[in-house]
Amino acid sequence: MTTPPLRRLTLPLSREDARSLKLGDVVLLDGDAVATVGMPTQKRMVAELAAGRDLPLPLRGGAFFHMGVSYEEAANGPGPLHYVNPTTSSRFDHLMPSLIRTLGLSATGGKGGLGRESVEAMREIGCVYFSFVGGASALLSQGVQAVTDCAWTDLIMQFRLNRIRLDGFGPVIVAIDAHGNSIYERLMTTARERMPDILQSLHPMTGNDETSR
Amino acid sequence: MAITYDLVKEVTANLYDWSLRRIPESSKAEFRKALATETEPQARQTLAFMLDSAERAEQTGKFLCSDAGVPSYTLKIGSGVRMEGDIRQAIVDGFADLVRTIQPPLLRFVTNPLTNERSFHGKDMPLVSCELIGNVDYLDITCAPKALGGGRWAAIETLVSPSLEEIERCILELVLRAGGQHCPPVVIGVGIGGTFDHAAKLSKDATLRPFGERNPEQMVAEMEERLTRAVNQMGFGPMGVGGSTTTFGVHIEYASGHGFTPVAVSFNCWINRRTRARIHNSGVVERIE
Repeated sequence: MTTPPLRRLTLPLSREDARSLKLGDVVLLDGDAVATVGMPTQKRMVAELAAGRDLPLPLRGGAFFHMGVSYEEAANGPGPLHYVNPTTSSRFDHLMPSLIRTLGLSATGGKGGLGRESVEAMREIGCVYFSFVGGASALLSQGVQAVTDCAWTDLIMQFRLNRIRLDGFGPVIVAIDAHGNSIYERLMTTARERMPDILQSLHPMTGNDETSR
Repeated sequence: MAITYDLVKEVTANLYDWSLRRIPESSKAEFRKALATETEPQARQTLAFMLDSAERAEQTGKFLCSDAGVPSYTLKIGSGVRMEGDIRQAIVDGFADLVRTIQPPLLRFVTNPLTNERSFHGKDMPLVSCELIGNVDYLDITCAPKALGGGRWAAIETLVSPSLEEIERCILELVLRAGGQHCPPVVIGVGIGGTFDHAAKLSKDATLRPFGERNPEQMVAEMEERLTRAVNQMGFGPMGVGGSTTTFGVHIEYASGHGFTPVAVSFNCWINRRTRARIHNSGVVERIE
């Protein structure tokens, strides 16, 4: 069985590309992104932008990922890459709407998704969320050509702003589109709707809890 | 003969290293089964990518995940065991040695919860729990480093004189709350009864059980099957982006208690980091997983 080759997109995405993506699309990524897993990093980003200062790496209209990056330390910046892997985005949910809007991000990503406020910010701006496979570092890291720059080196490595160049990174799944749709939200809603039937199916003979006592 | 500081230091460091580079055999078997039963194309693609990546990590010695977690060991100690030297310190020193020498290097995950400072060492690190297992002359050591994806969603509720239905509802509600955030397909460990701490420990122990082994009590084994089916009907799927493979198994352990019944639920992500070795008084080391 042959499957058609995956669509390849270059980061930073044009607004047109971002808005053309649909929930569930599977793509490969090329180009430049900035990655971090740091809570202090993202708090500092919000604070710097609020104070009217620019960030040390170019991110306006860019791709910003929740992903850990490990690399060799060299005298003049990042050395060869060791490995990358996504982290849970939802814990940065309170910071992301502000970052998406202020930076005009065209793509973000990680794993676990973002909540309604972030989804709304993404819809306004024209930004998508890519889901990366967690724990698949051995294959995922092959799609990262190099760590091209890093900033805020006072922070531990995975908390820095790490700029990476991608080459066929993925496959990644469009899990939140630029039109206000989120796979995570849909699945949670569906699961909640299914719960009464699921619970009923566990003990069909006994009925509800009260009568079974 | 006795189990020495040097031996425990070496074995605990090796167990950690192994856990970072390969998934358990019983996990691989579950992946192959799921690839045959999962019907969502995207979910199948994700499962295939996971298994390929795990096999590549094993063949090339690469890490499965960038989050090496925090070191966590469970020791099961036979009462015939003789120890020589400071065994607790051996585990601390083994981890310190590993951090110095491992390639590729580990990132810093050991976090002071009060200051959020991160390093490779800290209070109570590595986490060690011990249990006595009767009159045998060996020590079983399990290493199960815990990362954020799997660690964060563990939860416990204490019910009062619950019915079985109420216990199962409670478990499913805790599972629902985690959604697909914990890098599924996960193993779900459930501990019921005893006290707060005991239920939590049972739940952790349940996550360490290999897939395919059911609880020896029929009633509990049936409950495991029922709840595994129920969780997979929720539809979160691999990586929480849809499908019928959210868990490879709900494992349940219970203890007698009073009328109050703690129900603890914990998760281990799909890479299911878990390695185990048995050290005999003779100094012979058996690698079990």
